[in-house]
Amino acid sequence: MKIEGKVVRVFPSDTNTDEIIAGKYKYDELDLNKLARHTFESLDTHFYDDCKRLKDPILVAGANFGCGSSREQAPQVLKACGISCVIADSFARIFYRNGFNIGLPLVECESMSNNVTRGEMLNVDFGKGVIRSENQNAEYHFKPIPQFMQELLAKGGLMQYLDARGGFTD
Amino acid sequence: MKTISEKILSKRSGVDAASGDIVTVPVDLVFAHDGTLPLAIQELGRHSVKFPKSAVAFCDHASPSPSEKVSNVQTLMRQFARTYGMDFYENGDGICHQIVLERYASPYKIIVGGDSHTCTHGALGAFATGMGSTDVAAIMAYGKTWLKVPETVHVEVSGKLPKSVHSKDVFLELLSRITADGATYKALEFYGDTVETMSVESRATLSNMAIEAGAKVGMCAADEKVEAYLAHYGRGDEFTPLYADKDAIYVDEIRIRAETVVPMIAKPHKVDKVVPVTELEGQELDQVCIGSCTNGRIEDLRAAARILDGHRSKARLVVYPASRDVLLEALKEGVLETLLKAGASIGPPGCGFCIGRTVALGDGEVALSTQNRNFKGRMGNDTSFIYLSSPSTAAASAIEGKITDPRGLEH
Repeated sequence: MKIEGKVVRVFPSDTNTDEIIAGKYKYDELDLNKLARHTFESLDTHFYDDCKRLKDPILVAGANFGCGSSREQAPQVLKACGISCVIADSFARIFYRNGFNIGLPLVECESMSNNVTRGEMLNVDFGKGVIRSENQNAEYHFKPIPQFMQELLAKGGLMQYLDARGGFTD
Repeated sequence: MKTISEKILSKRSGVDAASGDIVTVPVDLVFAHDGTLPLAIQELGRHSVKFPKSAVAFCDHASPSPSEKVSNVQTLMRQFARTYGMDFYENGDGICHQIVLERYASPYKIIVGGDSHTCTHGALGAFATGMGSTDVAAIMAYGKTWLKVPETVHVEVSGKLPKSVHSKDVFLELLSRITADGATYKALEFYGDTVETMSVESRATLSNMAIEAGAKVGMCAADEKVEAYLAHYGRGDEFTPLYADKDAIYVDEIRIRAETVVPMIAKPHKVDKVVPVTELEGQELDQVCIGSCTNGRIEDLRAAARILDGHRSKARLVVYPASRDVLLEALKEGVLETLLKAGASIGPPGCGFCIGRTVALGDGEVALSTQNRNFKGRMGNDTSFIYLSSPSTAAASAIEGKITDPRGLEH
């Protein structure tokens, strides 16, 4: 699996789920496309529009991205914004699991948030574990995503993956 | 040579599991609330709930419903629970984690909640962790889940805590040392004579906050205090002792001397920006909030009442008991009367102020709360500021309308 897209934003470490999507919105809006308009609202009011202007935008962040609540609305709104992939120095545990469960590719690559800037075109190869920056003519390496998690992404998420194989196997 | 997590996951998966292994386990309890169940219902799609007696729904977050849209979402939840004959808890019954402590959690159980603070139930020896709505849906559909067996950090707390210093202060002290991602993917296990002498409620505060360090679970041994707690709620038969093996392997060990712990506060907008209360004394407060799944239990309300007794709060004081049982107990003991006389506004059992959906702060306002998170916008306003503390510090600060050291003020 490969993804190519421009970096829409670079967020700092400990970017939390309340910042991704504020709790005050999630109790009365079940339409994720409508909810997505509030993504990162407290930090950056142009995030949604900028994502929509790009083809397969990539979000880059520092360590512990998605810390805080278990709200799956956080990866869901990023997906609804059109984010093709999140590359972070590290992810909070629940967010990481949620991302793959809904088919949002996540890449842990420690060196990225300090090295790339907004607008840069990146090419991500999940099988090889390589991110290529055309602007910098540089390559960054990450631990390739395990096969079953790539399959999970290919199927579109956990429920689709379990449906295809008939549930959990021990 | 197993930690508590390894023991539970080995027993329940049927394989000899060690940290790093991925195991498939049956889930004894799966639950979600009005912030996470609706999305799980959507994800469940054509599937049905396989084991409805192991699935529970709670209306606790935006509770009581503040709008017609929320009411309609809650109607969807009620219909879903009724369709499958699941246990359903109404607006005003209390916070999911308090009710799960009182009625469901026990040693060796695997508990998954659609809420990050599900780690609370490690206080009763359950392997309990928060997951998102899709995991909740998959567990509802199949009754199982995958878990990676976590590495464990051994937290040793020894000695006697000073008066007006609580388990909340112990965890904030820990957080100041290991930071908000210091235990990511790991288990925290709490040991030492301080933890042994602590009530189950105080341990629940430690376990509850484990996620604030990124941990997957926050485990305590299941000892005679756990046995008594379960017996109190008529569930004595669910008790099984659970301790780590003496030669268990830990990835790290952290020692905290209880005598040296002082009242601590987390500053806006990060949980690990922790300093002693004395560094912030005099900071003016608009609102003081006591409650939440971290500190809304009866001993927390008692601690607040011991300080507030005979005083009148200068800051707006909002108290949300964690459950109906907690509220009833506070009523019986006269704690409620003390709080009311001190100027408290008492909310119905539930999450209340903590997520800013039914109680919101105004622009630029400053709050001190006993909850677990102080993220920007957490209490419903992006321009407000949230400090976190123990119930004693919150109560002392409410009286003055300023951040105040509670030591010496307790009756």
